[in-house]
Amino acid sequence: MKKTLTMLAAACSLTMMLSASAFAAENLVIAVDADVDTLHPTDFSTTVEMTVLNQLYDSLMYINPEGTEEPEPRIAESYEISEDGLDYTFKIRKDATFHDGTPVTVDDVVFSIELYKASEYQGSQISMLSSVEAVDESTVVCHLDTPYAPFLQGICSPYIVSKDYYEEDPDAFVTAPIGSGAYKFVNRTTGSNLVLEANEEYYRGAAEIPGITFEVIPDAATKAIALQTGEVSFAEIDSSVLPQLEANPAITIAEVSTSSFTYVSMNLEKEPFNDVRVRQAVSYAINRENLIQVCFEGKAEENSSICAKHRFGYSDDLMQYTYDPEKAKALLEEAGITMPYNLGKILVAEKYSNLAQVVQNDLKAVGLEMEIDVKEFNAYIGELTSGDYVITVLNMTLEGDTQQLEMAFTTDYIGTANNARYSDEEMDELFNQAKMETDTEKREELFGQILSKAQEEAIYAPIGNPLTLYAYNASLQSPEFPLEGNYFVYDFSWQA
Amino acid sequence: MLPKRPGQECPGNASGAFCGGSYHQVLERIYFMSKYIVKRLLYMIPVLLGVAFLVFAILSLTPGDPGSIILGITAKPEDIAALNAEFGYDQPFFVRFFNYLGDIVFHFNLGTSYSTRQPVMNDILARFPNTLTLAVLSMCVSSIIGISLGILSAVKQYSVLDHVCVVVALVFASMPGFWLGLMLLILFSLKLGWLPSFGAASLKHFILPTLTVSLTSAAGLLRMTRASMLETVRQEYIRTAKAKGASNRRVIWKHALKNALIPVVTSLGGGFGASLGGAIIAETVFAMPGMGTLMTTAIRQKDVPMVMGATLFLAVLFSLVILVVDILYAFLDPRIKAKYQNGGKGRG
Repeated sequence: MKKTLTMLAAACSLTMMLSASAFAAENLVIAVDADVDTLHPTDFSTTVEMTVLNQLYDSLMYINPEGTEEPEPRIAESYEISEDGLDYTFKIRKDATFHDGTPVTVDDVVFSIELYKASEYQGSQISMLSSVEAVDESTVVCHLDTPYAPFLQGICSPYIVSKDYYEEDPDAFVTAPIGSGAYKFVNRTTGSNLVLEANEEYYRGAAEIPGITFEVIPDAATKAIALQTGEVSFAEIDSSVLPQLEANPAITIAEVSTSSFTYVSMNLEKEPFNDVRVRQAVSYAINRENLIQVCFEGKAEENSSICAKHRFGYSDDLMQYTYDPEKAKALLEEAGITMPYNLGKILVAEKYSNLAQVVQNDLKAVGLEMEIDVKEFNAYIGELTSGDYVITVLNMTLEGDTQQLEMAFTTDYIGTANNARYSDEEMDELFNQAKMETDTEKREELFGQILSKAQEEAIYAPIGNPLTLYAYNASLQSPEFPLEGNYFVYDFSWQA
Repeated sequence: MLPKRPGQECPGNASGAFCGGSYHQVLERIYFMSKYIVKRLLYMIPVLLGVAFLVFAILSLTPGDPGSIILGITAKPEDIAALNAEFGYDQPFFVRFFNYLGDIVFHFNLGTSYSTRQPVMNDILARFPNTLTLAVLSMCVSSIIGISLGILSAVKQYSVLDHVCVVVALVFASMPGFWLGLMLLILFSLKLGWLPSFGAASLKHFILPTLTVSLTSAAGLLRMTRASMLETVRQEYIRTAKAKGASNRRVIWKHALKNALIPVVTSLGGGFGASLGGAIIAETVFAMPGMGTLMTTAIRQKDVPMVMGATLFLAVLFSLVILVVDILYAFLDPRIKAKYQNGGKGRG
């Protein structure tokens, strides 16, 4: 009996050793929330699709989303912006190839950019581009009609695709992509997984992790279990499963800042929110720290500005609203509100209803009462964008250049992302200047003015920036994730 | 043992001719049966049209359009409009509806999904085998457990076994499916490490989802079999069978069970049809790509062709399953078989 036990133990340790040594050559299994609907390099819309495409394709350059570092070369070796800010010239590297072995040429680059611009899905990111042309065998020039400061970030978004492959077989172009990135497409099982393998011919050298399997696991609890059993080695997780994963020594957690923001939006076209004092009162009345504890398990950065603190243009001098119910009451009194005041309903989508409950409580404490009106998400978006609401709470992402914040503040975007329906000539003009300004310091100053103005007028009552949480196998080595957490498996490796 | 008389083998028989019979009678039976089947198949056409219209109308009445759902809140109105136009979603309701029907009838084309931009049949065929496997496995497991324990429970009424069965059934019947699934996952995948926690790659992956679905439905079947069995054994003809000296086993298996199973088969058929739509909870918990999750995602994205394609596909299957169940009755209950002969007009 004893003998069998020892043998069993020996066998166990042997298998463990075997699996440990086999680890170095193992594929990375990444769990994702949803299947990719498409692998089309321009007509995609979800984060999962972008994550997969990021491994398959390279773009001209890589720009970190904080906008604070020099762009890193990828398909383009270098770039140059003309004095007047109208011409962007890229030098294309000679050693890059597609996964079928054909070289990446300037024609492919021009084609990729044109395909991107024509896409309803992504084209708006480079809508200011007027034309693109190949000047010689290694130079591509993009022309603009008016200077547009965030253009460099935009033009570095298109994935570089093979023109020949697209023309040869437009269906396979989508279903069996031939990319230009560090990983090659192997196969895909609709609804369950997608397999990639390292591109041995990659111009930056083959990736250390030999392959990636993306597994579709929609349920947060199941994903947490799969991480613990080792079936999955990397996943973005929900804060609800954080405690059990944190307790597991085989799992590492990374908290990554994002520019997405959770905020209370008030309809400025409706009483009483046309009065700035009422809006300021709302911003003072919300106990942000408590809300973040209750709804995000503490995993969000408190911030009463729409601009995330790591983002270009944010400064520590910016005025922040802090929890002060007495001040809120005083402001409401000053505005002539007789308390308790009935606001009617707080419109909310089902997934944000817990946020609404906390906000309802906080506002009730200062004398603003309301009922919660939960709507199905699409119905909610309909009422939100048409302005058929008084107050709401939601989360939004306006990532990319800080210029993107114009969607929340300028007149042109009333009916889409300007939920407050705020319209102010001075604000429109400030964003316009920031768009044209090519001098970084001056742009930063302009964004500073914009953000202070937004705080003074309490256009929105932002609560904070939720963190993205990644959980992964402790033997996986990953670099520091940039803002937004867009990752490239090329940068990962297994610990020796 | 008494010599066999016509009708004795078929308790409650209204037409002894079906329990045996000449070559001519067999032919006649086949004729009536096939006439009945053809008639039922023709009935499916208005049913499918009705389903198509209802689902299409409901989808059109719900708020949101595919363009803005796909492109999101920050998209430009002109991009949204362009995308909707590409999908043909800018057309009025009836134009879209009849175009859709026309495509199905004249081109056998269920349409192209708005979100994947691939034929919807690709997705349906990729996922349906998983759903079918899960449905068949769960039905087998749940009927084996449910019916056998139900019979046992009824035969040994008020015994300890009966009480245990009834209580356990009550517990499983009232247990939320997702919770049961999660508990099974924690036990068998996380703690014991015996079974995979997600996916549908091998039969091993189906064990936990099958258990989740069948444990809850077996509970219902058990209760139904037990009740139906108890009612049947109180019938006159059972007393007659016992009086003529038939053994207990023979009375139960030969006389009582066939009659007692009729309502059970009805609920099994309905349940199987419904589970073809996907056991959404099991599919979600165990990350198994099936029809249920396909449809819920499509509804949320307002992917009209996908929702319509999947609904019609299931409606056809469901109708066929119900037809099979109805035919199955005939083998269980000759009274119903007599109905076919009268073209469904006679009373059983």
